[in-house]
Amino acid sequence: MSARDAILARLKGPSPDQAEADALLVAPERPAVNEATLEAEFLARLALPSVNASHDVVGSMADLPTAIARYLAGQGEALTLCLPPDPRLTACDWGGFTLHDSAAPDEAAVLAIARRGIAETGSLIFETGPTAPMLPNFLALHHIVLLAVRDIAPHLENAPLTGPQPRAHYWVTGVSGTTDIEGAYVRGAHGPRFLHVILLRN
Amino acid sequence: MTRTVALFVTCLVDLIRPRIGFAAIRALEAAGCDVVVPERQTCCGQPALNSGDRDHAAALAKQTIVALEPYEAIIVPSGSCAGTIRCHYPEIFEHDAHWLSRAQAVAGKTWEVMAYLDQVCGWKPKGVTLDAKATYHDSCSGLRELGIKAQPRRLLKAIDGLTFAPLAGEETCCGFGGAFCVKYPAISNAIVGEKADAIDATGADLLLAGDLGCLMNMAGKLHRRGSKVRAYHAIELIAGMGDGPAIGEEA
Amino acid sequence: MSGFTDRAEAALADPILKIAVERTAGTAEAKRGIAIDAFPDFEAARSRAAAIKDHVIAHLGAYLEQFEANAIAAGAKVHWARTADEACAIVIAICKAEGAKSVARSKSMLGEEIGLPHALAEAGIGRVETDLAEHIIQLADERPSHIIWPAMHKTRDQVSALFKAKHRSPHQEETIAAMAESARRELRTQMLNADVGMSGANFLIADSGAVCTVTNEGNAELSLVPPRVHIVTAGIEKIVPSMPHAIHMLRMLARSATGAALTQYTTFYTGPKRAGDRDGPDAMHIVLVDNGRTKMREEGLAEMLRCIRCGACMNHCVVFRQIGGHAYGGTYPGPMGAVLTPVLDGLAPNRDLIHACTLNGKCQEVCPVRIPLPTLLKGWRDKSWREGLEPTSMRAGLGLWAWIATRPSLYRPVTTIAMRVMRLLGKKGWIASLPLAGGWTRHRDMPRPAAQTFMTQYKKARRP
Repeated sequence: MSARDAILARLKGPSPDQAEADALLVAPERPAVNEATLEAEFLARLALPSVNASHDVVGSMADLPTAIARYLAGQGEALTLCLPPDPRLTACDWGGFTLHDSAAPDEAAVLAIARRGIAETGSLIFETGPTAPMLPNFLALHHIVLLAVRDIAPHLENAPLTGPQPRAHYWVTGVSGTTDIEGAYVRGAHGPRFLHVILLRN
Repeated sequence: MTRTVALFVTCLVDLIRPRIGFAAIRALEAAGCDVVVPERQTCCGQPALNSGDRDHAAALAKQTIVALEPYEAIIVPSGSCAGTIRCHYPEIFEHDAHWLSRAQAVAGKTWEVMAYLDQVCGWKPKGVTLDAKATYHDSCSGLRELGIKAQPRRLLKAIDGLTFAPLAGEETCCGFGGAFCVKYPAISNAIVGEKADAIDATGADLLLAGDLGCLMNMAGKLHRRGSKVRAYHAIELIAGMGDGPAIGEEA
Repeated sequence: MSGFTDRAEAALADPILKIAVERTAGTAEAKRGIAIDAFPDFEAARSRAAAIKDHVIAHLGAYLEQFEANAIAAGAKVHWARTADEACAIVIAICKAEGAKSVARSKSMLGEEIGLPHALAEAGIGRVETDLAEHIIQLADERPSHIIWPAMHKTRDQVSALFKAKHRSPHQEETIAAMAESARRELRTQMLNADVGMSGANFLIADSGAVCTVTNEGNAELSLVPPRVHIVTAGIEKIVPSMPHAIHMLRMLARSATGAALTQYTTFYTGPKRAGDRDGPDAMHIVLVDNGRTKMREEGLAEMLRCIRCGACMNHCVVFRQIGGHAYGGTYPGPMGAVLTPVLDGLAPNRDLIHACTLNGKCQEVCPVRIPLPTLLKGWRDKSWREGLEPTSMRAGLGLWAWIATRPSLYRPVTTIAMRVMRLLGKKGWIASLPLAGGWTRHRDMPRPAAQTFMTQYKKARRP
């Protein structure tokens, strides 16, 4: 008997009832989120020490490069950016920037578009795809994320995609941190040390 | 209306500190109960149960059930012994329908003494005075198996002159654990050592709790290290017997 | 003296360990408390979490098959292992077939449980632990002492010395930030150059075939995205029906472990790299590991399969807080370890773990999935007694006491005499040294028993 059959033989039982599984999800206990003020709720979570992200607001995509230049200058970083091949981003005017589409091991800054922001936790939601690599978002020192205000949703239940799943669906809720040496909190353990969210109004 | 209640004395109170039993009787009588002490009681069986000796635990549980089942209510001056009868007797007989129903009947009318006085009798001590500062330790079984937390505090607050100093970690185990403290003395000592530090840090005159086992552990540690804190079962103060000898003091 | 007692006493004598445990578990306890107070109805959330896990455990076979079908449909390969050895053999065979020379591993307690680090070493495959604490443990050649903070027992000076001895370009400045930076430099190239990335799973999502990992460091993603192959080893109990079920469990996990609302990085991996994807592994293998779990389900330990490895039980355990994790001697320490270790490593050699507990119930009170840990420990004690593993002195002592206690008319005179004898050993109300109870009087005094038992006094008072 294969290991598979041997294990499953010991776990025989009735098939799960979908209604029973669904009933376990009715009215979940979760932090309250005021849906009338989603943006403010999201920004409040983003500013918590545990998330520790900064933010900026732009009125249109045309203002994005200026906002990023402002952030990088404020951080004392060169105008060098790892830019994923997303047409919404490549359509911007990046004059003055040095761009690359894959991240070097010591990449300073990366830009990515979050599909959703979650007000409950201040999380940014991403998926992998042909125009959305994953690795740069974990390699760079500065993780810069563009999020449209209309894409802020109240709860984590709003994060998943329905239907077929991409290779990776991931939630970023702060910067890479560790408390592994004497409990002291250190930012940038492996990945980003800084998370900067640029909210797009409109 | 007079209630006839049975006192389950517990073996530790019977042998080490009978005053606790008499205090329970005095408080229950003040609350309007007729108290009976059934003759054929010894130990609830908790030491056997917690050691894995199910046969002896069942034998003692049966003896206790037989002794206690005729009464309207069973009152116990110990959270852990009351918890054994209330929570664990039905578990012991989960596969024995006859004894299960008898165990459930007894479990359903078994009360820790302070919970009974407060919740069932709605009684408070009257005219009891004691000028002292006390701190209270919540013994684990009473707290987590029976939800005993507010009841002793409500009763103690009715004592004139008694003030309270909160105990840091009041819900943290004192390291007694029955056989645990003699099987693993070094670990138990480290735990009770921290508990004694916390008790001393309150600046209280008195340590109160609802379980003699825990009290013996804490009082024994406090005495060994020369602390001035004196320990009583809370029911002793509630019954107006807080002017007598504390645990380890000769009458 | 047993190994456990020796280890526990060594731990008690180690003042640095005491500071480390207090700092780690004490901070976690405080932060969890704040998080739970701020959460609406955490008690109901615990019941829901327990119900989700119980539902899965009741239908585990069907959910595993559903997960397997969906994972295969997404392009992953699914393997099944009955035992730790089978699981390791599968992993090593995959590594060999892929010609892998180096493995980047993201912290997985299941990997520790099945002895994966050892198996990789035996197979001559280079392994780099990428969680900072596991990296420290690997350099020190030790075992984790906590399931969330495996290196909590190491001081900054010890870490500094390790990094200076083993890192290629170690820190110059003696700060924790500089040490972390040294590890970042050291590990980054190793993660980017590894042939295989290995992880456990915090959750397996049945209706999508996704594998969920959570980290605060982002090391899982850095370990699992660059390599050609991603190998997951996961306990079969890690299944949840769907994403919303996982979301509820994630809310419980982070709050119970660290007091955070969520971990910094939460990732769901479904199969290998897709056509057009710019990164990700070419192959994904998922090894579903039983290693005693079906047996637990059959033999009264099904509730233990609810465990989501948050560490709250140990952070709140008075015994763990005194002796730390290594004293337990198994992969998993603390209350959950005391229940699991006898399953994994046998009851007879681990009898101390099931007894070194005061049954105070705090672990059960904080468990996010309501595992009745004290009840399960008592179940082990029952089994140990039944199987004759308890020492003769204990059996004889309890047996004699029970024989007397079940004979009330004998019990009264015997206890009266015993208490009189005991009184002779004390003075001024206290006994400083008591034969047969040295464990008590070594560290504390024993109150002297009353001159007459309650029953004697009561009968006298009632006699007309």
